[in-house]
Amino acid sequence: MATATALKDDAPIATGDGYDPTVYHPVESPGGVEISIRNFNLWYGQSQALHNVSMEVQKGMVTSLIGPSGCGKSTLLRSLNRMNDLIDHLRVQGDVRLSGEPLFGPQVDVIALRKRMGMVFQKPNPFPMSIAENVTYPLKVDGVTNKKLLAEACESALKGAALWEEVKNRLNDSALGLSGGQQQRLCIARAIAGNPEVLLMDEPCSALDPIATMRIEQLIEELKSTYTIVIVTHNMQQAARVSDNTAFMYLGRLIEYGATKEVFTNPHSKRTEEYVTGRFG
Amino acid sequence: MVDMVSGEMNMNSKVSGVSAINRHKGSDLAARGEPMVWAMGGSLAFGLMMILGFLALIFWNGLTAFWPKPIEVVTMTDGRVIAGEPVRTESYKPTSADLASIPAEARAKIEANAGMSERTLYRIGNFDFYSNDFEWLPFFTVKSSAHPKDLMLVERSEWGVFIGKVESILVDGKTVSNPSLAQLDAADEQARDLRRQRQTIERDKVGAVNSAINAERLKVRKAELAYGEGSPEAKAAADAAAVETTRLTGDFDRLSAEALAMRAKEEAIRVKVAEIGGQEKDFPLANFVRYYAANDVSLFQKIGIYLSRWWEFLSTEPREANTEGGVWPAIFGTLVMTVVMSVLVAPFGVVGALYLREYAKQGTLVSLVRICVNNLAGVPSIVYGVFGLGFFAYVLGGSIDRTFFPEYLPNPTFGTGGLLWASLTLALLTVPVVIVSTEEALAAVPRSMREGSLACGASKWQTIKWIVLPRAMPGIMTGLILAMARGAGEVAPLMIVGVVKLAPQLPVDGVFPFIHLERSFMHLGFHIYDVGFQSRNSEAGRSMVFVTALVLLVLVLALNTVSINVRNRLKRKFAGDKF
Repeated sequence: MATATALKDDAPIATGDGYDPTVYHPVESPGGVEISIRNFNLWYGQSQALHNVSMEVQKGMVTSLIGPSGCGKSTLLRSLNRMNDLIDHLRVQGDVRLSGEPLFGPQVDVIALRKRMGMVFQKPNPFPMSIAENVTYPLKVDGVTNKKLLAEACESALKGAALWEEVKNRLNDSALGLSGGQQQRLCIARAIAGNPEVLLMDEPCSALDPIATMRIEQLIEELKSTYTIVIVTHNMQQAARVSDNTAFMYLGRLIEYGATKEVFTNPHSKRTEEYVTGRFG
Repeated sequence: MVDMVSGEMNMNSKVSGVSAINRHKGSDLAARGEPMVWAMGGSLAFGLMMILGFLALIFWNGLTAFWPKPIEVVTMTDGRVIAGEPVRTESYKPTSADLASIPAEARAKIEANAGMSERTLYRIGNFDFYSNDFEWLPFFTVKSSAHPKDLMLVERSEWGVFIGKVESILVDGKTVSNPSLAQLDAADEQARDLRRQRQTIERDKVGAVNSAINAERLKVRKAELAYGEGSPEAKAAADAAAVETTRLTGDFDRLSAEALAMRAKEEAIRVKVAEIGGQEKDFPLANFVRYYAANDVSLFQKIGIYLSRWWEFLSTEPREANTEGGVWPAIFGTLVMTVVMSVLVAPFGVVGALYLREYAKQGTLVSLVRICVNNLAGVPSIVYGVFGLGFFAYVLGGSIDRTFFPEYLPNPTFGTGGLLWASLTLALLTVPVVIVSTEEALAAVPRSMREGSLACGASKWQTIKWIVLPRAMPGIMTGLILAMARGAGEVAPLMIVGVVKLAPQLPVDGVFPFIHLERSFMHLGFHIYDVGFQSRNSEAGRSMVFVTALVLLVLVLALNTVSINVRNRLKRKFAGDKF
């Protein structure tokens, strides 16, 4: 059943240590590949957190990363915008490219790279500023001071995050006064205000109630026409609902990467099947 | 499967067995930690009691020090009559020589009381008559006491307090015997007016001419230094200065003569007083600072006297070797020094901590620096004082003097203790506090905030500037408040680097450049030490010590209140997590 397909032109992807190669059957986007990851390894000090991960994130699609706790899905996501640089004794190996440009290497301008990727975190982290200042923070970083420009960007980002109607009359109030779901949508607005190419979402709904979660999921649906979205989630139903492709990771290895419908209804790998049917994890 | 089940059952039985034993032990007093709770509560209560007791002592003694007390006239068994304010009564053990001289009946009473008797301390004043301000009167020497209404208590600008009667006053050449209070008031007002005028001339006008003459001398010296002694430029400067100095000396003489004439007029208004024993003295009425018939004042008048004493204390300069008058220069000096210190310590401490926490590579070197900073907080403050004098005043100040003020030498300008060096020394003393608390505040900024900012494409510096620092500001302020409180209360190093017993000039005044950081200054903490332990009469200084301590406490409290308010405002703005 587990037919190891190749990554297009490559030989089957070895995951090492007696693990089967990645089962590979993603839906391909007409837009092509946004992020390509080849044989990516990552170590925290002595312990290896990612083993030979290879996958291609399709442009204009939602890719979800699932797997049990500690499987490395957040680590992988945070490697994409080099957020892991903050950690001491971190070492990476492999080739990761965003639209063909390498992400790792001495020549890479990390700040410029991060401006191309918006990120939404597990817990809403609005800055202790007003709502408007929060949204326009990426523009402030770029040195934009034109009031009119800022106001326009603020409005379009808030509309994009489906928050405009709720906050348009209190843009100068503290962002900390918003509810959890609103704060998370504010963080999404902030992430898209910088006009990125990719949106990285690290369990964006794990701190939210079901209604707020539903709103975020609708939002993801709306956003995917504009942005390539990579989302880490613990919630398999959510992955099934929102994503086009799903990557199942286990113990730092990419076990299966394929079309979401396939992964959940007809998983090609036994481990994936066990996980999605709730036998472990 | 079977194994599992039996294992579980086994476990269950074991658990219930253990819990049965525990249930018995659970009711044990020690197990519930009750004695520990009592111990904790008790030690907290003890600490609170100590603090409250201390505050009560300072506040009670400080607040009552200026309340006008009645004057008691005591007739003693040997016929001597003494007038004074009773200060306090205590029990003591009279010597056998004392006991031998008193009647057998009184002696028997004392012996029945295990040889203990009581005595009262009277403030008798009149240092010029008695060479003593205070006297202890044992109970067994007192025959009778009374509170006559005509006795006056007079605070004088010389010789301290006078207690006795005003015999006569001499105004406009006419003598008025037994003047009424209204007559005394009128004469006093006249004398006071003349005194004010004379002081304006002496202090302001003569002072200005004096400094102008000094400036001329410095011009010559400067020219000599610049062009060499005997050079034509120096000669020209000397000639110009000579002309100017002659003019100024003329002014000086004229003003001096004016002041002298005023003084003669002022001293023509005289008062003759008599102490309770009948000795008389005649002196200018202008010496009277405050007077009242101590046994004939209403509550309303007492409040007036009390408030006027406080006002005098808070707003005037000290007199009589600091035991009388006010502490305004000390309040001002303490305040200015604390503010200058805070201004100096804040940027150094915060920037240092920022580098240590955010930029420096965490390793052996940084750990070593951190240990050194923490240990700096434990160095005795006097060591900082010695360093401040040796390095700041002599090395730094000395070179500033040689570079910028050569014409003043050999008189030091910055090359001696002064406000700037004292503030710098205290800044050095308190910088560890600021660094440690700033580091903690920076470490407490949630990682999610930094990540959020970095993910928006902000650089590290932008993140620190816009996210980390504002968020850490309340914690940084806490460190500054601690540093300020410590600095305001520190005395030992200041004694070496610029605090003096009496500084006639304030460090901030109307003369360019308005803030004189090189001047030595007065400080409340040192004032307490000086009044309490360095004055001729420690009993006279006693009440001043309490009042000064009270003022220092209130000052520190006020400074802290202001900064705590600022901190809370920042906290509300930056850390109001409502999640």
